Amino acid sequence: MSSGTLALLCTHAPLVGCFGALVVLRRAPRAAAALNILAMLASLGAALAIFAGSNHQPPTIISLWLSSEGVPISFGFLLDGTNQLMGIIVALIALCIQVYSLGYMKGDPGYARYFGLHGLFAWAMLSFVYSANLLQAFVFWELVGLASFLLIGFWFEKPSAAAAAKKAFVMTRIGDVGMFIGLILLLSSTSTLDIAQLMQASTLASIPDARLTLIALLLFCGVVGKSAQFPLHTWLPDAMEGPTPVSALLHSATMVAAGVFLYARFHPLFVAAEGVSNIVLVIAIITAILAATIAMVQRDMKRVLAYSSISQLAFMLLGLGAGSLYAGVFHLTTHAFFKALLFLCAGAYIHQIGSNDMVTMGRQGAAKLRLVSAGLVIGAAALAGLPPLAGFFSKESILAALHGAHANAFVYGAYLASFLTAYYTFRMVFLVLRPSDKSVLPAEEHEPHPHGDVTGSMKLPIAILTVGAAAAGFAGDFIAKLIGAKALHPTYGEMAPAIGIALAGVIVAFFEFGRKDAAQQGFITRVGALDTLFERKYYLDEIYDKVAGGLVSLIASVSAVVERGVLDGTGDLAGNLTIATGDATARMQSGRLQLYIGSAVLLIVVFCYFVGGY
Amino acid sequence: MVLSAIILTPLAALFLTLLIPARNDKAIKAVSALAGAVTVALAAYVWFKFDPYSTARYQLVERVEWVPTFGISYYLGVDGIGVLMTMLNAIVFLTGALSMWRLELRVKEYFAFMLTLVIGVFGVFVSLDLFFFFFFYEVAVLPMYPLIAVWGSTRKEYAAMKLTLYLMAGSALLFPALLSIYYKSGLNTFDMVALSGHKFSEAYQIFVYPFIYIGFGVLAGMFPVHGWSPTGHVAAPTAVSMLHAGVLMKLGAFGILRVAMPLLPAGAAYWNGPFAALATCNIVYGALVALKQDDFKFVIGFSSVSHMGIVLLGINMLTIDGMGGAVFQMFAHGVMTALFFSAVGFIYDQAHTRDIHEFGGLSKHVPIASAFFIIAGLCGMGVPGFASFWAELLVFIAAVKTMPLFGVLAVVGLIISALFMLRVLKHAFFGPANPKWQGLRDVTAWDALPRAILIAVLILFGFIPRLALALIASSVRALAGGI
Repeated sequence: MSSGTLALLCTHAPLVGCFGALVVLRRAPRAAAALNILAMLASLGAALAIFAGSNHQPPTIISLWLSSEGVPISFGFLLDGTNQLMGIIVALIALCIQVYSLGYMKGDPGYARYFGLHGLFAWAMLSFVYSANLLQAFVFWELVGLASFLLIGFWFEKPSAAAAAKKAFVMTRIGDVGMFIGLILLLSSTSTLDIAQLMQASTLASIPDARLTLIALLLFCGVVGKSAQFPLHTWLPDAMEGPTPVSALLHSATMVAAGVFLYARFHPLFVAAEGVSNIVLVIAIITAILAATIAMVQRDMKRVLAYSSISQLAFMLLGLGAGSLYAGVFHLTTHAFFKALLFLCAGAYIHQIGSNDMVTMGRQGAAKLRLVSAGLVIGAAALAGLPPLAGFFSKESILAALHGAHANAFVYGAYLASFLTAYYTFRMVFLVLRPSDKSVLPAEEHEPHPHGDVTGSMKLPIAILTVGAAAAGFAGDFIAKLIGAKALHPTYGEMAPAIGIALAGVIVAFFEFGRKDAAQQGFITRVGALDTLFERKYYLDEIYDKVAGGLVSLIASVSAVVERGVLDGTGDLAGNLTIATGDATARMQSGRLQLYIGSAVLLIVVFCYFVGGY
Repeated sequence: MVLSAIILTPLAALFLTLLIPARNDKAIKAVSALAGAVTVALAAYVWFKFDPYSTARYQLVERVEWVPTFGISYYLGVDGIGVLMTMLNAIVFLTGALSMWRLELRVKEYFAFMLTLVIGVFGVFVSLDLFFFFFFYEVAVLPMYPLIAVWGSTRKEYAAMKLTLYLMAGSALLFPALLSIYYKSGLNTFDMVALSGHKFSEAYQIFVYPFIYIGFGVLAGMFPVHGWSPTGHVAAPTAVSMLHAGVLMKLGAFGILRVAMPLLPAGAAYWNGPFAALATCNIVYGALVALKQDDFKFVIGFSSVSHMGIVLLGINMLTIDGMGGAVFQMFAHGVMTALFFSAVGFIYDQAHTRDIHEFGGLSKHVPIASAFFIIAGLCGMGVPGFASFWAELLVFIAAVKTMPLFGVLAVVGLIISALFMLRVLKHAFFGPANPKWQGLRDVTAWDALPRAILIAVLILFGFIPRLALALIASSVRALAGGI
């Protein structure tokens, strides 16, 4: 098979699964699930076959979509190393999570729909990854957003899920609008949207500096929305209203990584655009610390992981913003494994125990789930950046990139975020696995509702991802070669403080949460104001709701009043005036002879006056 | 002769309908549906017969002299734009007839008026003679009054009267302007092709153009004279809303493209800035007002105002991208709104309310009927994979390049469209299922047919936009080149 056919198979097999599940097999949920898993297997096979092929080939054009002022815009695939890598990650993780969902979603009335939507997502995401041009990327980027919307709102009867789906769509669309305008400006500046062509130095050099900066910033808006960076990050934690496997796939490992991936794809452009990388670094460091501080005080396990995703995505952007394509992509890869793993572990606890609350999980004996707990510990250690697990190597390379760029302030910021990461991660581990009798944390208000035992189909993906989270860190050089970037090998001097900081975070967490008889109270509770600030997520939701939401609502109300009062009012007034005039003149036909004669005489007098001149 | 056949098919159906006894309502409905299917087939034939790469701008031409003294002839022909619009009308006609399968009140009269409307619309899309163009235009507009006043709901007399007065006011602007063009040219002909060859003085063009633009603009839902359209949409019965928003509003935009711009290119070039500004108001303001509506149909009505703004904005860019996008949007929006009203109609016919707050969790009770509305909603938000995405894309590309301020404002309008559409989805279709609607039944296969056809069209053109864009490319290029 040619690589174009393979890519077509890889991207579109899940679409067949989607159609089958949503339209044909609605009443045969198990068949729908099987079909989608088979389709995903086909995708993964095709992705591996593409990977086995050459990674230096011109983009394959499948069909012409349209032409804009003579510029052809087509649907095709770019199969270079970066895309090959991402394609495999997406297909592999998606497959793992679909298998996991077999058990997790068992008995759900929307079983077929669930797998159909997974197919929709995989189709959109894979087509996005292999896109040959920016418009195609944008099209599937939006479709990824749509799939995310539908999956967050999967349990649409829950008002919170419906609201979260809406919020996710709107917040990401705000970023997308910027990206869209950037796309148009890029098109009008270069007369091409072909990614390979755009990234050539000569093409980039032909764009005037100020314009290039503007374009880069606008594209970055899209990244901020999709990858949930400050100030558009607030949708991601709410997106945890979706089923847990959805959170694992979309809102940690793949979909939110699309933003970072886009940045990596357009890395030469962002490097060439003057001043942009500083803005990126600032946004990323704010996000990394902000999200980590919020994660410190959450009790809902999925929310801890959600904020951790935001924070880790920011880490990837730190690496990319510091100029290292390698660091960003490497962390993206390792993060996909350990974060998917952590979410699946969380899902397993939620399934078995029936609560998202970490304290409840601990008290209900979460530690008895041996395999899951092993996965949790390994995933957590990887996230915290403990050697020799995946997250350690990639995080080190990010720090090395920051060192290399002499961005010292950002290095210290990253140290702080790393400390917080290790701390909140192990706070989670200890809360779940080492419940304490002396804990001051109150029990949850709701009784937990267990869904059932953790099935074999749930354990298998956890086992696979555990291996990935443990081993992916050693793939650094391989990835560097694949994407054609320089690998960074941090010196021991650079590594030592980072390891120390991560260990410090773990130790603090142990003393506060993990010891026998620990009070399970974080150090931040001593500063009440900060505790509340983090607890309330910096009040950003309230501020957005009141200020932005209120403003839009106000303008809309004014518009509605203008519509009713002014525009409709004028129309009605004209109509009523006509009727009133008719009524008034009709009254003259009163049938009273005196009036007729009187007005006739009056008219004759007036007429004579004007005609005769006297 | 195929263009005449397209006009004659609904005409024949109209006569048949008048001959069938009123009690035999199934036969009446079948006649309309059949006529719809035949026109779709004929429109498809025209589509394949039309050669977009030919140098002949108007093809499949038919011409018979009618009143030589005044230069009036029965002159039909289509360019790519006409072909696309004819197909649109045929599709909406067919699906509209199918959507009214459950009508019980005065079926015969209803379908008679609807067929009249359809005849008028087909006539406008294929006429090349100004006299016939205007004649068919009025034929299309007039049946709206009885259709709304008799079969409508929610302040129907008010809506019918308002609509008629607005449209008559538009015609009042048009009629003298068109006559003045006829006299001013001195060619003694209503032949639009010949008239577009005549070069009117620039001052004259600048003077007359706004009359014609606004005259047609009223029908296209142009801000600030759009008020009739949401009110009319709301009050009209399902198929009339479909035809009304789906096709009738396109007549206005089509008139601008077919009459105003080719005949008065200098006028178009002079006025495009102010009219683009008004079109931007359409987009943003329409979406904002939609955000505050509680009636399904009002939301869709104002979303139409917003979406027609995209058409008008594209037209006023005077570039190939802009006008091509506008024409494609006319088609895409036509199919999309037809789907919207068809989907809402199905729910309203059973629930007898359209207040979004009265519903909730509809996706639970009637999953397929809800899916139809949700798909239309996604299309309305400009989600890729549906035809309207490409149309809007082209218009936005043109606008950001040509008039960046309006372009950016229009793109930002996308956020507001997402807001108002998602608000409806959230309140009516998601959330806890309201037990009150337990008894609603979901669509049968027959009910699903018209909606499925519309969705298929949206997705087909959503994935293969070139189908439509290749068809209209040369016509749009000729149009843009003339200005």
